[in-house]
Amino acid sequence: MKTRILVIEDDASISELICMNLEAAGYEPLPLTDGLEAEAFLREASCGNTEKEAAAGNGAARAVRDGAQETPALALVDVMLPGKDGFALMEDFERARIPVIYLTARDDVLSRVHGLKAGAEDYIVKPFEVLELLVRMEKVLKRTGRSRRVIQIKDVTIDLTEHTVKKNGERVSLKPLEYELLVTLAGSRNVAFSREELLNRIWGTDYMGESRTVDVHIGQLRKKLGFHKVIRTISKTGYRLEDLD
Amino acid sequence: MKLWIKLSLTTVLVLLAAAVSCGAALIWQSLIYNQEKTMESGAGRLASTAWALSRELENGPMKGYSKVTKNSYINYTMKKFDASRYILIEDGEILCNLTPFELTDPGHERWRREEGFCVIQKRAESYILVAAQRVPAMEGGPVRTLVLAEDISGLYEDLGRQARSGLGIVGGAAVVSMLLIFLVTKRVLRPLKELQRAAQDISQGELGRRADIRTGDEIGIVARAFNRMAERIEDQVSELSKVSERRRQMLGSLTHELKTPMTSIIGYSDTLLHVNLKKQQQQRALWHIREECSRLERLGSKLMNLMGLYENDSISMEETDMEELFAQVERMERYHLEQMGMTLVCTCSMEGRRLDRDLFESLLINLIDNAAKASREGDQIFLEGTGKRITVRDTGCGIPQEEIGRVTEAFYMVDKARSRRAGGCGLGLALCNMIAHLHGAELEIESQVGVGTAVSVVFPE
Repeated sequence: MKTRILVIEDDASISELICMNLEAAGYEPLPLTDGLEAEAFLREASCGNTEKEAAAGNGAARAVRDGAQETPALALVDVMLPGKDGFALMEDFERARIPVIYLTARDDVLSRVHGLKAGAEDYIVKPFEVLELLVRMEKVLKRTGRSRRVIQIKDVTIDLTEHTVKKNGERVSLKPLEYELLVTLAGSRNVAFSREELLNRIWGTDYMGESRTVDVHIGQLRKKLGFHKVIRTISKTGYRLEDLD
Repeated sequence: MKLWIKLSLTTVLVLLAAAVSCGAALIWQSLIYNQEKTMESGAGRLASTAWALSRELENGPMKGYSKVTKNSYINYTMKKFDASRYILIEDGEILCNLTPFELTDPGHERWRREEGFCVIQKRAESYILVAAQRVPAMEGGPVRTLVLAEDISGLYEDLGRQARSGLGIVGGAAVVSMLLIFLVTKRVLRPLKELQRAAQDISQGELGRRADIRTGDEIGIVARAFNRMAERIEDQVSELSKVSERRRQMLGSLTHELKTPMTSIIGYSDTLLHVNLKKQQQQRALWHIREECSRLERLGSKLMNLMGLYENDSISMEETDMEELFAQVERMERYHLEQMGMTLVCTCSMEGRRLDRDLFESLLINLIDNAAKASREGDQIFLEGTGKRITVRDTGCGIPQEEIGRVTEAFYMVDKARSRRAGGCGLGLALCNMIAHLHGAELEIESQVGVGTAVSVVFPE
């Protein structure tokens, strides 16, 4: 039930880097290394789409189809690719209805504008920070309505549509800010957040409180969910919700 | 002052001076001539008149006449000879004077001289010709002198008129010639204006501009020299801008080449710092960091080589035996190729050449490494030297036709992923090309996909 992310990058080392991080954060990466390969994959995916639409009335068939091969929710695409470059692939992505984030070494304004105009959801310039990539991905997923509905961490289930948290099937009551904090940490699991980042994202940039506030809420979460070992304090950085398979 | 004005003014002034002085000299001469002529004719007339008068007086019935009668007779006789011009003197006394002039010194010695004389006297507003001649007389007769006094102002007036009209003609001619000279000079110098405009256009960056002057004179020669100069400058400027464009592209590729390993290194170290990874993944991350660093290191040393080659003074040419060089290269490559299951076949029938041994070795090794990267296990690589050509040939995957022209560009890779795996950074052929150029040689690449590639270093004749 993990979200699939298409990673199209010709440099093996960068491709592995992205996949490694996506995996750690709880996504299922699908790496492709060249433009033509990506084109072939997308053609198949868009065929799948039409079939799905045709079978829209038949709920059972659809479920079977989804289980067999889920269309990726998002694609991270390098611009300079062998075979067919990232900009040229845009049409195929649109046909397959996969939102695109370009990852590129070209940070001139023109290619940025070109990428965004072509219909990309976002444009990230290399070198990038892992957290930045994950955050931007999450935003795009939310905007395009492809966010995960349920996040499972160990024995805790977070239902993002109902805004409920259950531990071993029993409902745990969390204050709104505690819930937000849990969703943020769980959304990019295994990645460390600094206190400032958490403050910015949950309390808002204009919140003038101290970073102690974060510590207090983390303490509450740990207590309520029994996450004393799961939410770890990373010295000099902040907090990280750890859950490796 | 403009050149054409200077030239035409000088010409006009010189011409004018010449014309005026010529005219003056002419008029002066004609004055002298006319004076002489007048005097001559005056003297002639005087002589004949004197002679006729003497005959008249000689033969005349004058002997018995009283003084008054004699005077009347003489007057009468004189009137026959156009007397208004003559004065007759006898023994220092004026015997008869019918001229409008008055002789002030009839007693003067000069009137008594045997031989006559002739002068021109200048009066206040007129010129008078004065000539004297003894009237031939019999022995013992009175000494009589006939004097001619004639107003010759007309002569001078004529000359004056002539001079004035001459001056007028010269003036007119001067004005006309001045106009002509102005026009001609301006026309002759007009190409200079074009030359100046061309120079101005070129200095304002219009490098393709040429002076459109087709005259055969000195200005034409200058214009042709100018056009040749402009051509050279245009060539060099375009050459320079090409070089700087290549440098710019190379810098762009370099940035990209640096950014890719940097992205990996920053990304992996960032991941190690912030992300909870499995033990095995942590190892992978570290391995990648190490790998990317060594890629950067290789890139660095290749770049250093390339930069070093830009400073040409670091090369040292020496007479090199080619067979020896080939053997050396083979020794250096043998182990490396054996490891990949390939063999190097050397054939050499070349004479010794002057070259930088180290650079040339690295060129050949680079070419052989490239061939090895394209080949499969069990393949052979050929290193052949004949005449003016050294060829490294392989039977590997080949280069697509449309990419051959670009493979010597720095950072250009036909197959990026494969080249990276083999440890390439896209500088090898650029380096080879530069080494070949330093030796005055050219790199020739022939290739066919699936058949193989032959890269030749061709020396000039």
